[in-house]
Amino acid sequence: MATKKAKKEKAKKTEGNGLVRFSINGQAVEAREGWTILETARQQGFDIPTLCFHPAVQPIGSCRLCVVEILQDGRSRVAASCITPVQAGVEVLTHSEEVTNVRRWVLEMLLANCPASRQIRELAKAHGVTSTRFTVEHPEDACLRCGLCTRACDEVVGTRAITMGNRGVFKEVTAPYHRHSEVCIRCGTCLYVCPTGAMEYLFPQVSAP
Amino acid sequence: MNNQATTGVFLCECGGQISSRIDLAQVRDLLQGEPWSHLAIYPYPCLAPGLEAIKEDIQAQGLDRVLIGGCSSRVMKKRFVKELTPLGLKSHQIEMINLKDHVAAVHEAPPPELARKAAALIAGGLASLKLLERYEPVSLAFEGPALILGGGISGFAAARELARHGMESIIFSKALTPERVLDELHYTFPGCRLFCGDLAELLREVFADPRVQVLPDQPVEYIIGGVGDYRVGLKQPDGSITEVGGAAIITALDRDFVPADVTYIGGRERVLNLLELDERLVEGQTPSGKVVFWVNSPQHGKEAQEFATLAAWRDSLLLVRENPHVKPTVLYPADIALPLTGADLREARAHGIGLQAYAPEVHPVVQSGYLSFVSPSDRLEHELEWDTLVVPGVPGGPSPKAQELVRWLPIYPENGNLKKSHIKFWPDQLPDESLFFTGTAGGICDLNEVLQQGKKAARGVLNLREKARQGRLVSPVVVHVDKDLCEGCGLCTEICPCGGIEHVKPGSGPVPRETDNHLCSGGGTCAATCPHEAIKVLNNTAQQLEARVKAIVSRMDEHDFLGFVCGWGGLSSAEQAAVKGLTYPKNIHLIWVNCLGSIDPSILSLAFLNGVKGVMLAGCTPTHSCHYHYGVDHCWYRVNAMKKLLSLAGLERRRLAMGYVEVNEPENFVRMVESHLDTLEKLPPLPKDEQTMAKLWAIHATMHRPRVRWVLGTSLRRPTEKEFPGSQFNAVETDETMLEVLKEEYTVSRIFKALTERPLSPPDLARALAEPVKNLTPILTDLAKEGRIITKGWEKGYPIYALGKL
Repeated sequence: MATKKAKKEKAKKTEGNGLVRFSINGQAVEAREGWTILETARQQGFDIPTLCFHPAVQPIGSCRLCVVEILQDGRSRVAASCITPVQAGVEVLTHSEEVTNVRRWVLEMLLANCPASRQIRELAKAHGVTSTRFTVEHPEDACLRCGLCTRACDEVVGTRAITMGNRGVFKEVTAPYHRHSEVCIRCGTCLYVCPTGAMEYLFPQVSAP
Repeated sequence: MNNQATTGVFLCECGGQISSRIDLAQVRDLLQGEPWSHLAIYPYPCLAPGLEAIKEDIQAQGLDRVLIGGCSSRVMKKRFVKELTPLGLKSHQIEMINLKDHVAAVHEAPPPELARKAAALIAGGLASLKLLERYEPVSLAFEGPALILGGGISGFAAARELARHGMESIIFSKALTPERVLDELHYTFPGCRLFCGDLAELLREVFADPRVQVLPDQPVEYIIGGVGDYRVGLKQPDGSITEVGGAAIITALDRDFVPADVTYIGGRERVLNLLELDERLVEGQTPSGKVVFWVNSPQHGKEAQEFATLAAWRDSLLLVRENPHVKPTVLYPADIALPLTGADLREARAHGIGLQAYAPEVHPVVQSGYLSFVSPSDRLEHELEWDTLVVPGVPGGPSPKAQELVRWLPIYPENGNLKKSHIKFWPDQLPDESLFFTGTAGGICDLNEVLQQGKKAARGVLNLREKARQGRLVSPVVVHVDKDLCEGCGLCTEICPCGGIEHVKPGSGPVPRETDNHLCSGGGTCAATCPHEAIKVLNNTAQQLEARVKAIVSRMDEHDFLGFVCGWGGLSSAEQAAVKGLTYPKNIHLIWVNCLGSIDPSILSLAFLNGVKGVMLAGCTPTHSCHYHYGVDHCWYRVNAMKKLLSLAGLERRRLAMGYVEVNEPENFVRMVESHLDTLEKLPPLPKDEQTMAKLWAIHATMHRPRVRWVLGTSLRRPTEKEFPGSQFNAVETDETMLEVLKEEYTVSRIFKALTERPLSPPDLARALAEPVKNLTPILTDLAKEGRIITKGWEKGYPIYALGKL
C-alpha cells in the first residue's frame, strides 16, 4: 500500500535516465536499472563469494552463497545478490553478521553435501569453516547440483545433452534415460564451468562414449 | 576493411584473478605500436556494468573490431556476441584471448613476466583481426523439386509429405506402379503384406499426385552441385546420360533381406525361407496345417533377429487372418527382446499363434515333421510339430544401389550401416541439415519407423524451402575457392569429409571446384591441402594464422615454444588444467584452431623461419575422436613432412612434436607440455646464422610448392593404412618416396634462394649450399631445361645460372 508520499520519495531516488542510486557497505554506488546487486558490487570491487553463478549463463540463485543483507524502509532481509535487481535507496551489506552467519551455515551444509570437492573445502576454509555437524552420506560426492553444467549445455552450447534428473534429495546430473547422451558433442563446456570439480567424474557417465 | 580497422582492446581483471597475476598496465605498455586504437582495463567486462562500458566505448570510438583479453572463448564469447551484435559487430569481428586459463591461472611467475606473455598472445590476436576480409554471407535460393534417390519405401512417405505441402519431388524407383511397389516390398520388408491396405493408400496418393514424378531408376552416373541446385546424371539403357535437377536430395536406401539358405535342411517344398513364403502368398498359395517359423541367425546380432522375428510374426498374422485352419508358431531365440506389444500378444492368443522362445546355446535340431529345442524356462528339450518349416533369414547389407550413391554423397559405411559424417558440432556452427538420409541402410528398423524417417526428411526439406523464401537460408561458414588459382585437381573434394566441396562431372577435366557451404563444417583441411593454395576459409584464413604466429613468435623468449591446440580435445584439456588448479611451464604459447587439420604446412615452416625454438601440437586422438573425421591424421602428415625438412636442414626433428589428448585429460596435457619443454631445453636455440636462415627460408618455400603439396595431399592417410586401424604395408618405401620429393624440392628452393642473391656457377652453388656438385647438377639441368634458371655467362667451362621464370 504505497502512499503518494512514499511514491514521490522513491521517484526522487531513481533518476529519469534509468540510474539507480543505493549504497553498498556504506559506500554510495550508481547502477542502471536491470543490473543485479552482485554485478554492481563486483564492478565496484566488493567481494561476494559465489558458486552457482557464471557470467556465461543466467543466474538462478541456488547456492545462496552470494547472499547480502538489504536494509530498506527500516526492514532488513537477506537475499541472493545474483538474482536481486538493484533498487534505489537501499543499503546493501555484504559482510554483516547476518550475512556471515548465513554463509557459514551454507558452507557447513555444503561440506556435508559435497565432501569430495576440493574447491568447496577451500572456499569453506577461507570463510573459517573447516568442519561440519551434518552427516556425510556420500563421501565420494562432489556435485553441488548447482546446474551450471546443464545450464551451460543449454544456453551456451545449445545441445541440451545433459539435464537434472529426479527431484529433491535424489536430484542428479544425468542424461535422458540415465544413459550416455546421444547428442553430447564432447565440447567440454560443462567441465569448464563446474565449480566443484564434480564434472570430472560425472563426464564419463553422461557424455557420448 | 583491412587497413581501416579500428580495434578496441579490453583487458579483464576478472575481479583480481587475472590482474593479480598479470601486470595489466605493463601489458598495455608492451602493446604500444600494435594495431589498436582504444584500450581499456575493466574489472568484469562480462557483467552488465562492464558490458555497458564496452558498448559506450565502441560507440564513442567507432570501433569495428574488438579484442577481449579475458577467459575462455568457447564459453564466454557467445555472451559478448549477443550484447555487441546490436552495435553492428559480427561474431568474427570479436576475438577473445584467454588470459585467465592460458596465462594467469596456470603459471607461477612474477606478474611482469606474465605480462610479456599476455602481450604476445594479444598481439597475435590483433594481427589476425587486422586481416579480416569483408564478405557477404552466402544466401541460397531453393526452388525446385526434391530428388528422392535409392528406391527405398521411405522415399514414398517423403514424397507424400512434400506433396501435401505443395512441394514437387521426383522419385527414382524400379517399380512404377503402386501394385509393383507392394509386390516387391517383401524383398526389403518381409511380412509387410499385412500393411498392404494402408501402404496401398499411401502409394496411390503419391502416384496420383501431380507434384510427384516417378521415374525409372537408372544407374547414377554423377551427382554434382549443392544445396539448392543439385544435378543428377542418370545413365539410360541406350548409354546416354540424362540430367535431372533439384533443390534437395533425399536418399531412401533399404537393406535387401537375405533369404536363408534352406537347401541344406532338405525337405523340398515343406521347408521354405521367408522370401519363398511371401512369393507363394502373392500367388495365392497358402501352406496348411502347422507352420513353424524358426528365427535362427545368432551370428547376425540381436537387431537382425528381432527384425526377422517381427517379419515372421507378421506373416503368421497374415496366414491366420486369411486361413483360420493354419496354426503358426514363431520359434525365436530367448536372448532377443520380443518385438511385440501387449495388443499383439492378445491377438496372438486369440488366433492361436504360438510364440515360443528357445535357449540359443543349444541349437535346435530339425527332423521330419519335428523341431526339437531347449526351453529356457525348464531346460528340457521340447518338440514342435511342423507341416511347413519357414526359416526367415536376416536383413543383409545396404542394397547395391547404395554403392552408386556413396560415391557422390558424404555417406560412409560404419559397422555395417551407412551413416552421414559423424561430425559433432555446436548447433550454431552448423547450418540447417541439408542432406537427408533415410532407410534401413542407416540401421535396421521397422517399416513404420522408416516411413517416419521419410516424413521427417521431407519436413527438413520443407524447412529449407521456408527459410529460403524468407531469405534466411544462409551458411555460417564460408569456404571460398579462387577460380583463378584452382587447377581442378580435385584433392579437396576427395579429402573433404562433409561434402563441402562439390563434385564435378566425370570426364569434365580440370574444372575449378565449387563449394557447398551449407554442408561445409569448417574443418579447413581442404585449404591446408590445396596444392595451389586456392582455398580460403573466410575469417579463418591461413594468412590470419600466419600473422598471428609471426606476432607471437617475435615476442617470444629464447626457450619459448608454440603450442597449437585443437578446439576440442586440446583446448578443453588445456583450459581444464586451469580450472583444476594445475600449473605448467609458461614457455608454451597456446594458439587454438578449430581443428589441427586446418593448419597449413607452411604455418609450421613459417614459425621456424621466424625463429621459434620448437612447436607442439595437441589434438584429439585419431581417428574417432577427431570432430572433423581425419583432420588430426592429416596434420600428422604435414608435421611429418616438416620434420623431414628440418632434418634435411641439419636441424633436430624433435623440435616438433604432436600430442594427443581427450576432452577431459588436463594432467596429460600438462605432462605433454613439460615433456616437450624438457626435450627443447636439451637442444640449443635455433641457429640464426645466414646459412641456417637460408635453409629455413628454403623449407618455407618448399611448403608452398605445388608439387610438394600435391604429393602430401595424395598421401594424407597414416602410412598406407586403408581404414585407419594400423596395417602398415609398404610403409618404408612410401616414406622414402615422400622424402625424395621433399629433398628435391628443398634443394630447388635453396638454389633459388642462392641465385636470388647473385648469379652463380655450379661449383659456387655447391660451396654456398655445402652440397657436392654432383648432387646439384641433375637438378640444375632440369631447371635450365624448364627455363626456371637461365645461363647468364660462362666461367671455367661452367654455366653461370640466374633466376629465370619461376
